[in-house]
Amino acid sequence: MNSFVQGDPLLCIGCRTCMIACVVAHEGKRIYEIDPDGYDFHPKLKVVKTWLVSVPVQCKHCENPACQAVCQSGAISTVNGAVIIDQDKCIGCKACADACPFGAVRMAALGFKTNPDGTPRAVANKCDLCQGVDGGPACKRVCPTAALRLVEREDVDQIVARKRVNSVLTSLQP
Amino acid sequence: MSNGVHEIEDAALLFVFGYNGADSHPIVARRIVRAKQKGATIICCDPRRIETARIADMHLQLRNGSNLALVNSLAHVIIEEGLTDDAFIAAHSTGFEELKELVKKYSPEAVSERTQISPRDIRRAARLYATSGRSMILYGMGVCQFAQAVNVVKGLANLAIMTGNFGRWGVGIGPVRGQNNVQGACDMGALPNSYPGYQNVTVPEIQAKFEKAWGVKLPNKAGIPLTQVPHYVLHEPEEKKIRAYYIFGEDPAQSDPDLPEVREALSKIELVILQDIYMNKTGQFADVVLPSTGWNEHDGVYSCCDRGFQRIRKLIDPPADADVLTDWDIISRISTAMGYPMKYSNTEEIWNEVISLCPSFVGATYEKLEKYGNIQWPCRSTDMSDKGTSFLHKDGKFANPDGKDRFSSIDWQPPTELENDEYPLILSTCREVGHYSVRTMSGNCRLLRNLEDEPGWVQMNPELCEELNVKHGELVKILSKRGSCVARCLPTDRVKKQAVYMTYQWWIGACNELTIASLDPISNTPEYKYCACRVEKIADQAWAEKYVLDEYSKIRADMGIEVGKKGGKAA
Amino acid sequence: MPVKQIQSTCAYCGAGCQIMFSVDQEANKILEAVPAQGRTNDGTLCLKGHYGWDYINDPQILTKRLKKPMIRKGGKGSPLEPVSWDEAVRYVAERLTNIKNQYGPDSVMCTGSARGPGNEPNYLMQKFARAAIGTNNVDHCARI
Repeated sequence: MNSFVQGDPLLCIGCRTCMIACVVAHEGKRIYEIDPDGYDFHPKLKVVKTWLVSVPVQCKHCENPACQAVCQSGAISTVNGAVIIDQDKCIGCKACADACPFGAVRMAALGFKTNPDGTPRAVANKCDLCQGVDGGPACKRVCPTAALRLVEREDVDQIVARKRVNSVLTSLQP
Repeated sequence: MSNGVHEIEDAALLFVFGYNGADSHPIVARRIVRAKQKGATIICCDPRRIETARIADMHLQLRNGSNLALVNSLAHVIIEEGLTDDAFIAAHSTGFEELKELVKKYSPEAVSERTQISPRDIRRAARLYATSGRSMILYGMGVCQFAQAVNVVKGLANLAIMTGNFGRWGVGIGPVRGQNNVQGACDMGALPNSYPGYQNVTVPEIQAKFEKAWGVKLPNKAGIPLTQVPHYVLHEPEEKKIRAYYIFGEDPAQSDPDLPEVREALSKIELVILQDIYMNKTGQFADVVLPSTGWNEHDGVYSCCDRGFQRIRKLIDPPADADVLTDWDIISRISTAMGYPMKYSNTEEIWNEVISLCPSFVGATYEKLEKYGNIQWPCRSTDMSDKGTSFLHKDGKFANPDGKDRFSSIDWQPPTELENDEYPLILSTCREVGHYSVRTMSGNCRLLRNLEDEPGWVQMNPELCEELNVKHGELVKILSKRGSCVARCLPTDRVKKQAVYMTYQWWIGACNELTIASLDPISNTPEYKYCACRVEKIADQAWAEKYVLDEYSKIRADMGIEVGKKGGKAA
Repeated sequence: MPVKQIQSTCAYCGAGCQIMFSVDQEANKILEAVPAQGRTNDGTLCLKGHYGWDYINDPQILTKRLKKPMIRKGGKGSPLEPVSWDEAVRYVAERLTNIKNQYGPDSVMCTGSARGPGNEPNYLMQKFARAAIGTNNVDHCARI
C-alpha cells in the first residue's frame, strides 16, 4: 500500500514552512548561491485556509489513481510506493488536475520546460513523497508544530480498527 | 513577558488577546498549540479568525477598537460574581475599590453592542479565566498599536492581579515582543526615559551612578520618543527643533505611520545619518551612510521576548569587497572623534560594562551564557548557580516602591479616526509570516521572496469583495485621508466586513502611506490598528499590473541594484 | 571542505530560536541552517529561521548591500559618494559637534536598533547620546 503525507488542521498554524521545504528538497541547496531567478518555485503541496481549517493539501498517492486513469500520455505511474508524474512525458492537457478529487495536482510553468517561443511550459506538478531525498518527505521534517505525518499501512489499519470499535459502541447506545 | 515562553504550554487557560502568534512568532504559536494538546482551555480575543481562534474553546470576535470596553467588562463580571482572589488583592495590590467603582458601568449588557460580543460569552470567558487556577494572558500588537494601548495593558494586568494569576509557573501576562531584539534595545536603555536595566533618568541617585561610571555630567530630563520626531521637526518652534538624526538599523521611511509626513520631516532635518547593512528608503534622505556588519558577521547578545539573554556568534566575515565595520566600532570611533573616547576590543568588554551597571543583569556573564545558553533576567549573582529567573513577581512582589501593584481604573476611549462616508472601512495593519520588519533582510532572501512578494495583499471579506466587484488576486487601490497604495485583493471570511487588513512589509502596497500618526500618550505607539480607509476597484488591470512592475523596477534602481539584474518578480 | 557547526540566535523575531549553522569557513560561506535545541524553540524553526539567511550573500533582490561609507558631498540632493572611514567619521563628528554647539544637545536624536546589531551596540548608542552628546533623545522602533 502507498503511504502519503497528511496534515492535522488542529496542529497546523498555516506558516507554509512546508511549502518552502518542498522547493528546497527538489531544487537542492544550490538555490542559495545561484541567480535568484535561476530556479523554480513550485511547491508540490499547498496550504489552504478557511474559516474552519488551515492545512496543507497534497497527493494521497491513491492505489488506483484518477489522475493516472485519465492521463493520455502515460506520464503517470506508481514507482516505489508513490504516484509519480514523468514531467518529460506530460503534454500539459490538465486532465489529471481536473480528475484529482483532492485538488492535489497543479499545473506549473517549470523553467526547464519551454515552449518554442522560450516561455515556460506548464506541466502537471504534485507531491512525489520526496523520492530520492535523504530523510524522506521534507515537509514533514520541517513542520514546527509536527502537524504533518507520513500515513503508512499500519496507521490506516489502526484508524480503521478504532472506527470499528467506535461503531460497535455507538450502536449499543440506546 | 512576566513568564517564560516555555511555560505557555503548562497554563491551564490561555487568554490570547490581540496576538496573532502564527504570523508574528510561529515558534511561540507552537506553544499555544501544545497547550491545547495538553488540555488547556484557550480563549482568543481578536476581530479576525486567526489561527489561534480556530483551535480556541472560545473566540471573542470583538469589534476593532473596543479593547478596553471588553477588558473592563471582564473585570466587572469577575468582581460581580465574587471570583476575585481577595487574599492576593489585599496583600499585593492597591486601588481595588476605585476599579470596582469604575467597572460598575461595564456590565456585559452595557458593552455588548460596542464590542459585538454577547453578554453570555463575556460572562463565560470571565468565569473561565478567573477559575482555571492557572491562567496566562498573552497579548500583542492588537493591544499595543492603538492610541489607547497602555491602559488596555494595565486593564489586562488588573485581571491577572484580581485573580492572583501572577508570580507562579504558567500564569502572568505576556506581551510577546515583536522584533528579535526589541527586548534587548529596551534592556540596554535605548529609551528616552531610562538607562540600561530600566533605571530611570530622572532619579538623582541613578543619574549620579551613571555620571560616575561614565565620567561625565548627564542630562536629567527625559528625551523625545522616536515617533514624535516628525512633530519635533515640523511643528515645534525653532529652539526645540530636531536638527540631527542618527538612525541605526531602522527604516522610519518605511516602518513609521503617515509616511508622507515622515518624508517631509526627513527632508527637513539638517543632518541624517544612516547606519545599516542594506540601502533602504530612509537612505534616500541620508547625508551620510555608514555600512555595518550584519547578523552572522558579528558577536553579541540578543534578548528574546521573555527576558532571555542569548549569544549571537560571528559565522562569517563580511564580503571581501565590503569596507564595513561592526556597529560598536563605528559608534566608538564617532564618539572618540567628538572628544568622548570609547575604547573596546570586543563585545564581551562592552557587555561586562553593561552588567556592572545593571543590578538585574549582573550575573548574566558571557561565561554563563556560553554554559547555559539562555539566562532570563533578573540574574543578580555572578555565582554559577544563579541561572536567571523564569517568572517575575514571585510571592506577589512588584516593582513599585511599596512592592504592590496598583490597579488601573480607566474608561474606554474610541479610536482616533472613525469610519465615515468618504472612508467607510477600518484599516488595520498586520504581519506577513515569511517577512520581517521593513524587509531589507527577508526581502533579499530568495525563498522568502518567492513565497510572498510585492505588492502584497489586502485581506477583505468576500461580501465586501462582491460589493466592490473585485476578485482574488485583482489589484485594488486603498486610500485614506493621508495617501494611497495598490495591493492585491485577498478575499477571506476570516475578516469582518467592516475592516480590511494589510501587512506592513511591502514597499508598493505600503500601508503606512495610509496609517495615522495618532500615538498612545504613554508608550507613543502609533494607532496602526485603526484608521479609516476606502478600497477602490481598478478597471484597467493591465495598467495596474504594469504599474506594479514599473514601481518595483524603480525601487530596485533607487536601492542601487544594477539595471538589468533579475530578481524582481512582483508575483 | 572543512565545515564547522556554529550555533547562534535567530534575528527574525522575539522568540529567540537557536539555529545550528553549517559554515564553510575557508570559502566564508553559510551552507545550511537547521534547528538547534534552545529553551524557547525546543528544536524547531519556522520558515524565517530555516530559510532567512541568504540575504547576507547580497543576492540583490530588493536592495543592495552597503559596502562603503558614503557622504553627499554636494549637500542635500547630490549623489552619495564613497569616502574612507576616517573621512566619514570626521564628517559626522564635526557636523554633530556643530549642531550640538549651535542648537544644544537636545537638537540631536539617536536611535537604537531592535534588529540585528545586538545589545552591545545599543548600549553604546545610548551611552553616546547621553554622555557624548548630552541628551536623552534616544529611542528605537519598539512600536512597529
